[in-house]
Amino acid sequence: MIVVALLLVAACATTAVLVRDPVHQALVLAVLGTVLAVLFTVLQAPDVALSQLAVGSALTPLLMLLAVRKVKRPRRHKGDER
Amino acid sequence: MNGWLLTAGVVLAAGGAAALLGVATGPLRRRVVAQNLLTALACPGLLLLAQAYDRPSYVDVALVLALLGPVGTLVFARLLADELAADPPRARTLTWAAAGLGAAVVVVLCAAVGPSRAMVKLLVTGALLIVGNVIASHALSGGFPGESR
Repeated sequence: MIVVALLLVAACATTAVLVRDPVHQALVLAVLGTVLAVLFTVLQAPDVALSQLAVGSALTPLLMLLAVRKVKRPRRHKGDER
Repeated sequence: MNGWLLTAGVVLAAGGAAALLGVATGPLRRRVVAQNLLTALACPGLLLLAQAYDRPSYVDVALVLALLGPVGTLVFARLLADELAADPPRARTLTWAAAGLGAAVVVVLCAAVGPSRAMVKLLVTGALLIVGNVIASHALSGGFPGESR
């Protein structure tokens, strides 16, 4: 069981590195967060898994997508903001 | 006890591999659906793990996942609304299959646990899982048009 979870985490992390588009990376990171939570549960650490779930499956993709959105937005008031 | 662990391993390995494959390749709509499905499959897996290790407190992890997983999917549905509106994902069969698997796991676990407070917790987790999954899938396919800005 530990081997299965470790293999999944390794495959997920490798995919997250290999995928180039930031939006797709956010999706892979959400999957990675969930799989990491499963790994922590298998390793008998449910409290770590709880915090990993909160951070990994919701907060990290939210931050990444917000950053991508801010960068991609067309800049109309270039002189107003520095 | 060993059977629970084996079932959890099969569910997690198959679901994780399928979700990883879906997330790594294909158009954006497939990736979003795969991310949503992993939540729906990992939650029954975690419930089975709690039963396998004979630690009822591990059900908390599955409960939190059932709560936060759809929230994460809704984040994607909200922030990727423009991209998804042009090419809306349709995964009705997969959604109901995952919901059916979750319901089956919860029913089997309830039969194994017997009537007690743990069974109520299991039922709450299963209900949250299925309702959240269906809502998230509905939102992904553009079900709430007024929501997108």
